[in-house]
Amino acid sequence: MHRNLPQNKEALLKSYTTRLKEDIKSMLENFEEIIRLAKGERGESESQLNRMTQIEQDTFEMQVRAANIVRAGESLMKLVSDIKQYLILNDFPSVNEAITQNSKLFRTKQQECDQKLMSLRDDIAADLYDLEDEYFTSIYK
Amino acid sequence: MANSVNISIEAPIENQIQEITYDGQEIYQAPLSMSENLARLAQKIDFSKSDDEFCNIKKEGESNTDPKPDDDSKDANYQSSLWPWESVRNKLRNALTEVCVLADVLNIAKEKRYMVLDPVQPEQVDNRPMVQVYGRKKALGAAAAVLLAGVERLRASENMRINRNMPDFHIDLLRLRQNWRLKKVSNTIVGDLSYRTAGSKFSQTGVFEVTKAPEEQMMQAMSMNAAGPAPSALRVTVPPELQGVAFISVLCQKEQEEVVTATLSSSALSCPGTLPGDGADLHWQQKLEAAQNVLFCKELFARLAAEAVQLDASIPHMVVGNQIMATVLPGIQLLIGLCHNNGQNNANANPEGSRPEGAAGKSDHDHVLEHSLHQLLRAVHHSNTHHPFPHPATGPLGPSKRRCLAGPMAADRYELLDMSKEQSLLEQIIQQAQHFFMRRRSEYVLDTIAKEVKDPLIVSHWNALNSPTQSCVKINIMAYGYDAVCRTSLVVHVGEKTLKCICRDGKVRHLSYELQELRDLIYCQIYQHQMTAVQAVGRCMGWQLLASSSHLGSGPVEPLGNASSCLLASPTGDRMIAIRCEPSVGIQVFIAQSPRKDFFASELVQDKKWENLGGAFKEIKLDKMEGKNFLNKMELLMACLSSPT
Repeated sequence: MHRNLPQNKEALLKSYTTRLKEDIKSMLENFEEIIRLAKGERGESESQLNRMTQIEQDTFEMQVRAANIVRAGESLMKLVSDIKQYLILNDFPSVNEAITQNSKLFRTKQQECDQKLMSLRDDIAADLYDLEDEYFTSIYK
Repeated sequence: MANSVNISIEAPIENQIQEITYDGQEIYQAPLSMSENLARLAQKIDFSKSDDEFCNIKKEGESNTDPKPDDDSKDANYQSSLWPWESVRNKLRNALTEVCVLADVLNIAKEKRYMVLDPVQPEQVDNRPMVQVYGRKKALGAAAAVLLAGVERLRASENMRINRNMPDFHIDLLRLRQNWRLKKVSNTIVGDLSYRTAGSKFSQTGVFEVTKAPEEQMMQAMSMNAAGPAPSALRVTVPPELQGVAFISVLCQKEQEEVVTATLSSSALSCPGTLPGDGADLHWQQKLEAAQNVLFCKELFARLAAEAVQLDASIPHMVVGNQIMATVLPGIQLLIGLCHNNGQNNANANPEGSRPEGAAGKSDHDHVLEHSLHQLLRAVHHSNTHHPFPHPATGPLGPSKRRCLAGPMAADRYELLDMSKEQSLLEQIIQQAQHFFMRRRSEYVLDTIAKEVKDPLIVSHWNALNSPTQSCVKINIMAYGYDAVCRTSLVVHVGEKTLKCICRDGKVRHLSYELQELRDLIYCQIYQHQMTAVQAVGRCMGWQLLASSSHLGSGPVEPLGNASSCLLASPTGDRMIAIRCEPSVGIQVFIAQSPRKDFFASELVQDKKWENLGGAFKEIKLDKMEGKNFLNKMELLMACLSSPT
């Protein structure tokens, strides 16, 4: 956060924070509403509706609110996944580290291969010299 | 009557309005039936109250009876005065009425013939709490079910991932990020597989898209090969022009009449099949590497094609379709083709490809030159990004090292112009191909000479250290058993179009690509070797070299080189060996003896001393002589001639 991030990155990070807060707030509010409905604090006297209708309405409202909580939870999961993705894509120090490590690995591998090839070449050259000698001095050509 | 007006008369509302519907219709409460009315009225009777009234009346009566002479209430006084048992009677009557009423009520209640006693609904029946409790319980149950379902879904997905060892998308993404360039563009993750960052300036982009693999496919893949490596949770989508396999085919072949048709078909043949495994099953790393290779090959080919068009060679290079033709050496062509098999044009490449020449065409492919091409382009990439210091920190350009030194070294215009010349990839690869051919031809010539010429052994040693455009071979000419006495060695540098021979005497000869020249040179060297070797053997045997000439002026003109000869005398001086070597004929050996052992004076030669002048030379049939090789024969001959007998 202290780094000088580009504006859109900053905005993105802020949006993550707001998403987190909103989701948690939504969970809490919906839960509170469910509890309130269950307690029946809502004044029954003023309602124009029939009791059964009222009960039905409460049932639906509770279901919707429960679904809202679930949605908020899944939204949080999505947020976690988004943040992970953001971190993976923008964590340049770790990427640099990986690159250095890779290049080091490949360099050592290259050196190893070069060394092996060199020794192989030397061996083959020595053998080739002898073989050439033998071939050209033999009568079978 | 005609103007009569309809007057609607409405009865006043007698009944209560129960409900007003939306269309304005009023629904009334039905009027009470008689029984209901009576029941309601009877219910209204307050027995206790009326009792009280009676009591009050009685009390009044009693109070009135006591002050009888009171004038205030005449009426009561009159009654009481009239009928003293009035109150009693009234009471009794009241009691009777009540009893009668009670009896009536009981009768009515009992008989149920005319009236039924109905319990009247109380105005406020409070059965609400229970209904509400049940309703709320149900509502809470439903809400809880929704919550539990949501939790269950989350847990199930998590469990499935853990239990079945499903790969994690983010772990894979991390791996991908560590190896490839990725960025997020709005909602998609986009990667770049081009060599831009490595110094490439190719215009084609290598953008690919990363998506999450659908779970069903993953499950399917896992069930298909349970033992194999876990499938990736990632799916990469490369653009269709980068799909498949591509490679640069490099062919060197003799010039043909119908170049275009012949080469195009042969290049289509050598296209390899698709990558192992289906496109979707392939791991992203392999897929991306293949796509990157395709991009690289395309860049390489595009660059080569551009160079081929730009270069003005004596024999112009041809670019036909995905094929570049360049003449390496007279009669030999270098074909560079781009083979790209992306699975789509496979169908139209195959009809030709099913011919059996496919294998032959493939085997002609020169892997070394292909590798060199790759190496050259990578060197170009490297030089694009790695500028020699000092260069501006921000600028991608910088003068080359030689340019930097040009100032202090006071380079002139020609030198600077020379610096600005850069060899193109095509030129370099043509040079390499030329060198390749020169090397192969020299090898062939040396091997055939070694086969043809048995007598002096020709041993060639190829140097292990060489560059793509230069190699070196050392040739030793020697005779078996006499390698210590005399050996001729020469070095041949094989270049791109020329050969450089450094002979034993230090002379340097430059030969062209026509290998007959090398052949002639080697033959000359062989005969030269024989002459020097014979002299060396003679020296070892104590013979004396009387004369030697490597360029005889006598005899027929040789097609190559000159005849050489030498004359050797035995230690005692009475025998002589003359050797004449003509490259076209071979070696001839003559011997002469002087003085002859038996001298007969003739008319012309009367004294024996004239015999010392030397006599007639007689040719020796070398092939009839014993001995392994020429030098051995000569040694035997010398030994034979040296012996006093």
